[in-house]
Amino acid sequence: MLGFVLRRIALTIPVLLGLTVLVFAIARLLPGDPVALAAGPNATPAEIEAYAREFGLDRPIPVQYWTYLTGLLSGDMGVSIFTRRPVAEDIAAYLPATLELVLAAMLLAVGLGLPAGLAAAVWRDRWPDTVSRVLALGAISMPRFFLGLLLQLGLAMALGWLPLGGRFPITEDPPPLVTGLLTLDALLAGDLRALGLALQHLLLPAVALSLSPLATIMRMMRASTLEVLSRDYVLTERALGLPEWQIIGKYVARNAVSATLTVIGLYFGWLLGGTVLVETVFDWPGLGLYATKSVVTQDFMPVIGVTLVIGTLFVAINLVVDILYGVVDPRVRVT
Amino acid sequence: MSAALEAGASPRRVAWRRAVYRFGQSRLSLVGLALSGLVLAMALFGGLLAPYPEHVAGGIATGARFAPPSLAHPFGTNELGQDVLSLVLAGARVSVLAGLAVVLLGALVGTALGAIAGYAGGWTDEILMRLADLKLTVPGLILAMAVAAALGPGLLNMVVAIALSWWPGFARLVRGEVLARREEPYIVAARAVGVGRVRILLRHLLPNVLTPVIVKVSLDVGFAILAVASLGFIGIGVKPPTPEWGSLLAIARSYMPDFWWMAIFPGLAIFVAVLGFNLLGDGLRDLLDPRTRR
Amino acid sequence: MRIDAAQGLSRRGLMLATGGAVLAAGVPGRAHAQAGRKVLIIASNQDIPNFDPHVATGYSASFLLRNTYDSLVRVRGNPPTPVPALASSWSSSADGRSFEFKLDPAARFHSGKPVTAEDVVYSFRRALRLNRGNAWMIQGVVGPDSVRAVDPGTVSFALLKPFAAFLQVLPWIWIVEKAQVEVNLGGDDGQGWLRSNLAASGPFRVRRAEAGNLYELERVERPWQAGGGDVSHVIWRITRETAAQRLMLQRGEAHIAVDLTSEDMDALKDRPGVVRIIEPEYRTFSIKMNTRHGPLADPELRKAVSYAFNYKAMLDAAGYADLMVGPLPHGILGHDPNLEVYRTDLARAKEHLARSKHPNGGLKLTMVHVSGLEQQRRWALVLLDSLKPLGFELDIKPMIWPDMVAACRSPETFPDFFPVYQTANYGDPDNIAFAAYHSSRNGNWQNAVYANPAVDALIEQGRGEQDEARRIAIYRDFQKAVVADAPDIFGVLERRKLALRDNVRGFVFTPVASNAIEAFALSLA
Repeated sequence: MLGFVLRRIALTIPVLLGLTVLVFAIARLLPGDPVALAAGPNATPAEIEAYAREFGLDRPIPVQYWTYLTGLLSGDMGVSIFTRRPVAEDIAAYLPATLELVLAAMLLAVGLGLPAGLAAAVWRDRWPDTVSRVLALGAISMPRFFLGLLLQLGLAMALGWLPLGGRFPITEDPPPLVTGLLTLDALLAGDLRALGLALQHLLLPAVALSLSPLATIMRMMRASTLEVLSRDYVLTERALGLPEWQIIGKYVARNAVSATLTVIGLYFGWLLGGTVLVETVFDWPGLGLYATKSVVTQDFMPVIGVTLVIGTLFVAINLVVDILYGVVDPRVRVT
Repeated sequence: MSAALEAGASPRRVAWRRAVYRFGQSRLSLVGLALSGLVLAMALFGGLLAPYPEHVAGGIATGARFAPPSLAHPFGTNELGQDVLSLVLAGARVSVLAGLAVVLLGALVGTALGAIAGYAGGWTDEILMRLADLKLTVPGLILAMAVAAALGPGLLNMVVAIALSWWPGFARLVRGEVLARREEPYIVAARAVGVGRVRILLRHLLPNVLTPVIVKVSLDVGFAILAVASLGFIGIGVKPPTPEWGSLLAIARSYMPDFWWMAIFPGLAIFVAVLGFNLLGDGLRDLLDPRTRR
Repeated sequence: MRIDAAQGLSRRGLMLATGGAVLAAGVPGRAHAQAGRKVLIIASNQDIPNFDPHVATGYSASFLLRNTYDSLVRVRGNPPTPVPALASSWSSSADGRSFEFKLDPAARFHSGKPVTAEDVVYSFRRALRLNRGNAWMIQGVVGPDSVRAVDPGTVSFALLKPFAAFLQVLPWIWIVEKAQVEVNLGGDDGQGWLRSNLAASGPFRVRRAEAGNLYELERVERPWQAGGGDVSHVIWRITRETAAQRLMLQRGEAHIAVDLTSEDMDALKDRPGVVRIIEPEYRTFSIKMNTRHGPLADPELRKAVSYAFNYKAMLDAAGYADLMVGPLPHGILGHDPNLEVYRTDLARAKEHLARSKHPNGGLKLTMVHVSGLEQQRRWALVLLDSLKPLGFELDIKPMIWPDMVAACRSPETFPDFFPVYQTANYGDPDNIAFAAYHSSRNGNWQNAVYANPAVDALIEQGRGEQDEARRIAIYRDFQKAVVADAPDIFGVLERRKLALRDNVRGFVFTPVASNAIEAFALSLA
């Protein structure tokens, strides 16, 4: 088992190296003048030259890559042109908000998607199935940012039930920082009021983000349930007169665990990408908002930093899913 | 299916007719066909149908700002008095054609690289596929944002930025198909009689992998339109005054609670376009891809 | 001053009000009120990335600096007049070249140490040495040796040349605590440290700084400044969409919104609990043309464009605004309201076009604008529409502000059209005249290319002249000379649009940088 885990971890190293090459290529090889961008617009030609020398941008590309890589290892992701703040610090500040949103969306998608898919399969071709099918089609085609705007327009602006955006009321002091996830920190501090406030802010963005994966999980759950239901042993159990709900509970629930595992792995990366737009709409102070602001101002190092961090996160999550798979299903370990 | 339909037709045509019949039986596919037809027509002729073509070219009418929907302006007017219906109609051009361009570019590059990787094998295969794998480590939108940040704004840059994360899907698909077929008897035979590698690839292999590529193209168009609109919404899109759905929505955000029509109609346009192409794609997949037939 | 407190309760207002009541538990402000704190929330769309008082610019940074730092004098009132701050009194020589300031002996830095003349000298030298931020206001007037500590409580200035507006620029040169900066000097003159730390003496200090989200100030325990309101904390809440700022204000989640559009102001009319402030301010908006390079170097073509421009549409799109009459803002010393300027007249535009080198049009001109600035985007579209009858196309390029500044370096890199907001930091015609039309500013964004020796001479005369009547005459000539050259499309003076909750007390509108709210005097009822 340990050997399997180590082998899996070793396999991610070339992937991560490849990721740095990709990011570096975007940073240095595309047209555009990275030196002028990095030195800032007020720089004189002499200053630009000095900057290029200081950061080694006048040296050959492979040397530059090496410098960049060693910088990364010591946690140096460059400096934002706009704010002159170290990118790594900014990312550390914004990452927990993104993780909280993505986890909440995932929870919603799995928590609602699985029962809905089950229901659609059990009442196949009856109204729950039809409704879920139409909803799924709509959800997949719905732009997340448009859905976000609609939710905002209705629930926050017109009705005033929920906050427009942000993570926490600004006049309140957030619960003591432990994990950076406000809901979790509030729970840890036993502060139910803070938990409520954090959830109010989390609800709309999480719903907007979760809809598309929810639809997919629902459809997958429906398909796998139908498949299980048509298996011989289910037919046998049925013939033996076992109640339908017991059959479903016994066989389908187990089946769902492994299916869900794959889905989480698949969708985590998708959600990390999708969160960009949702954060923009809801002013959610996470990596996505940070990246969009930086893209619009052509502040380059933050964009590259976010790309790298999200890529690494995605690789790490796949690694965890792979390992969990190995735990659940020993046959996988052979490969 | 009636016997008359099948009488006197070649097997291939029969299969075709069956498929068309099946497609016609699926109401959702027909809806998809209708919607995507409508959207394509908008993309091609939207500018001509616009009731206020001068607004599409950037003309303004500041005397009629923020008019709510009415007969004269069914979708209302915006902050410069421009007719929102005209902008939405004309916006189809960029949004839909850029979406198509992304997928076609991705398909072209991906098919070429995938075919080369699958047929050549060895190191070429290894390098190309590792390159394609890299894409899987970064969500497409993030990658597109990074590339667009490096290239600067503009329609062409946007298409290139999105297409860069689109080709690996096609490359994997085509490589798989080529690998599956390269040892089939007719290819082996062709090789045996001394037909050149390039010729085998172009004349014998590629035509056979075209069907799954077409299916994937049709399935992807909706998502490409969504990606284009997303970048437009973030603010890395076309230059003004060219209307584009995502950027129309982004501008409308500032005016949302009072002038909702500025946001609702471009948003609905994106939704309808994506829905239409998704339905059409699903229908075509059922039609053309034998593996998904039930 | 036009303030209307709304009384009527519209149906929508009622709806929002009841919606708010339902959520009362979730509406912020409660906890603070209970804790006896008075938190003033300001909604703005600008981040405060840098706290260094000699580097940071922009109104958001000005907000922070105005509340946490002190300068020798401050401005108050309308029209703005210099009032004592760190300096409790001052005197000047008749030729306007020497000044002497007596420091308030009570003045203390946050560290508890007194503010001395040494600190003032150090701050001016640092500002000049770095030559960033607001240094341009005193560059060429104050030299490194101009500032002298006579004794710990007295600072003297020997100006390099007379400067009529000297007292007006002083509020923008902040005083840092020398000892604090010296221990944190680093390799960059303390810039790395001051970026996120204060060495200040102002009534507030930074309590929380969350980049891109909010900045919270708290009143220091015993501010040395006398008086002031009861606001104990100020939150600068970054809210990008103006519509969202407005909703926060309506729902009582913010007390002041500083970036509202004319449409927002209209929507706020008659809203209960909201006070609107719509005031003229010395903030000009014009579109600069490239007078040195490209087709617009031809004055006939510039005049053709000036006559073709749709001023009415610009005014419509601007909302609460007035069209500019010439280069200077209305109401400022020497402004000539009867100056003959360009107004939309297609016939005359075509006459000038016929005399230019491009009588048939057919060119594609370029305009840049700050990406994300909605007003500038609107005006670019107005220009695009205006140029069509002349047969010109317009390529509109949204750019980030630093890139726009970079484009100003030479006439070759400067675009054909370049929009500029010029906010007066001091209420003197010299501010706009010197910054925006003197050729020594070429290469800077306020005046990248325009150069006319006759205009330069007038600006210098106006700057050095002490007699007001003679200054007025000089600025009249200056306006005529500039209009004759048509270097800009003189645009609009947008009214300052602020909205406050009606429980904010002690607010006095001052038309310089009025969106950089000074919280010292404010109270919450």
